[in-house]
Amino acid sequence: MKKKVLSIILGVAMVATLLAGCGNEAKETGAAGNTDGPVYAFVSKSAGNPFNERQATGFEEAVADIGGKAIIQHPEAATADAQITVIQSLISQGVDSICVAANDENALQAALEEAAAAGIKVCSVDSTVNVASRLTHVNQAGVTEIGQCLMDAVYDLTGGEGQWAVLSATSQAANQNAWIESMKEIQAADSKYAKLELVEVAYGDDEPQKSTDQTQALLQNYPDLKVICAPTTVGIAAAAKVLQDQGSSVKLTGLGLPSEMAEYIGDDDAHSCPYMFLWNPIDLGRLGAYTSAALVSGDITGAAGETFTAGDMGEYEIVTAGDGGTEIILGAPFKFDPSNIEEWKEVY
Amino acid sequence: MAGKSGRTISATPEKTLKKALLSWEGMLLLLFIVINIFCKCISPVYTLTNVLREMPKYLTEIFLMFPMAYILLMGEIDISVGSTVCLAATVACLSSNAGVPFVGVILIALLTGTVCGMINGFLAVKFRELPTMIITLGTQIVFRGIAEIMLGDGGSISLTNADGFRAIAGKVGPVPYIFFLVIICAVIFTVIAEKRVFGRNLYAIGSNPKTAFYSGIKVNQMLFISYTVLGFFAGLSALFLTSATYAANTTTGKGFEMDAIAMAVFGGISTAGGKGKLVGGIISAFTITCLRVGLGQINMNPQVILIILGTLLICAVLLPNISQSISDKKKKASRA
Repeated sequence: MKKKVLSIILGVAMVATLLAGCGNEAKETGAAGNTDGPVYAFVSKSAGNPFNERQATGFEEAVADIGGKAIIQHPEAATADAQITVIQSLISQGVDSICVAANDENALQAALEEAAAAGIKVCSVDSTVNVASRLTHVNQAGVTEIGQCLMDAVYDLTGGEGQWAVLSATSQAANQNAWIESMKEIQAADSKYAKLELVEVAYGDDEPQKSTDQTQALLQNYPDLKVICAPTTVGIAAAAKVLQDQGSSVKLTGLGLPSEMAEYIGDDDAHSCPYMFLWNPIDLGRLGAYTSAALVSGDITGAAGETFTAGDMGEYEIVTAGDGGTEIILGAPFKFDPSNIEEWKEVY
Repeated sequence: MAGKSGRTISATPEKTLKKALLSWEGMLLLLFIVINIFCKCISPVYTLTNVLREMPKYLTEIFLMFPMAYILLMGEIDISVGSTVCLAATVACLSSNAGVPFVGVILIALLTGTVCGMINGFLAVKFRELPTMIITLGTQIVFRGIAEIMLGDGGSISLTNADGFRAIAGKVGPVPYIFFLVIICAVIFTVIAEKRVFGRNLYAIGSNPKTAFYSGIKVNQMLFISYTVLGFFAGLSALFLTSATYAANTTTGKGFEMDAIAMAVFGGISTAGGKGKLVGGIISAFTITCLRVGLGQINMNPQVILIILGTLLICAVLLPNISQSISDKKKKASRA
């Protein structure tokens, strides 16, 4: 009997505290805290992801420029579930915008729809969420920008004429194939590239050993080869080692991770790669912040064709993305050369 | 040891032990109140509406805590339940996308969970010499493996038609449906554990399996039923989880088993079996949930929140042991 009474008391007390403890409904609306200006939130993929943490840094920097408050949240795990928890909390706080680097394209939809219904402007950065979940997406680089950038590098390193080859990932890799196709088109379209000859597209399957073998095969088959372009981080690292170890005169460029490529980057003959490219995560984060701010202020709605000014980064236009939604393209990839590689190899 | 804990469920419990047990739930309730006041103080947006809105994600784990508590009370464990959730969510998404009506999707998800639970139960009964920790470690890997194969290359499936799932994620005023369901389950599970023969048997098995067996308790049947029920609830949890994500992926339900066990243990339910009360588990589940929501709202680093929860858990496990040893010493002293 006593137990029954006790359990009833316990139950009533629990509900009562829940009601009393958080009963003050009046405060619920409005922005979090007493901050001036809008609150912009950034949700990364997880803590300890250097690429993501740089994005967060960029996001914070830009928000400091814009004026307002930045909330940076790294979920407890690199899962969609953990990101949902964070997003739910941000909805409670009544933030003005959420910019998310998604762990799963689709699984955030319910949470982000709820955010949108609460008047929060949602965009994704780096890794997109599906069209129904976002207003727009901030993409690191468009296919054409990458193609142009790599083609210019090949032109520069060959001196404008001679043989060059591509060392790609797998033959089905969608990204790489699009970039290579774009390079071919650019080469064909402009007579300035007429003296360049693409001798082969080799596939290293993003395996270090196979990429090494393919590089050696290229060197053997084409003695007059001047440049190898490897638009994949695995391929470029493998090729760099081969060329540098053999003291080859063939030069290398492409897309690579600064931390893996630092020892191969240099202008002299002792180094195989004069410069290479990848996206700049800091700028990506900054553009994410400027996009959030433009969405919040109503300058843009996320529709294709709209333009806005992203602080000192200049003017950006919203374009139609491959998935049917819209996106903003950061621009040309970031160049890593001997002047900045020491600094960036620590970053990612 | 076993004899001592057995006494707590006898018809005439020893006064001091009863007090100690009551005070544990009492302490938890106090902690629950303190944490709610604390959260209210640190977060201006810690309102009933917001807490209830953020709660469903955690409630899906509280579902699992009830049957998990039964299994823990018998001195066994199930660490495969997170994978069962993943598999059930995957099957639910696949069947929904294949055009199965939503009622069918619900049944399929629940059936998937139940079958996984039955497999665990069957193995646990058939191979009593194997620790259930190892058995369910195996099935944890197997279930998630199957789910990953079904999920295919992308590792993620999204619902093409989320209407049904949208419906079960609905609310009455600010209160989500799942909240009512959890409360109903809490009452049912508590009543069974406290008032029914099944509940008594749970404590008996956890206290001393051999004695329980020789006194005619169908230990194997109890085990099988409990694991099956846990599987069923994993299916239920998967449905509500899917209603929050409209998708299933390879990380769905990851860590749920440990969260459910942590809630139960924090509530005073011993992993050694035979000790603790459902009420404690329920209060602790809501305490943990409120703390996570509150700390989340002030944007505390999630990693720091995990550290706080871990520390609380260790304290929760240590405290009864310390107080036990103190009271033992006192007894000895008074006898001398």
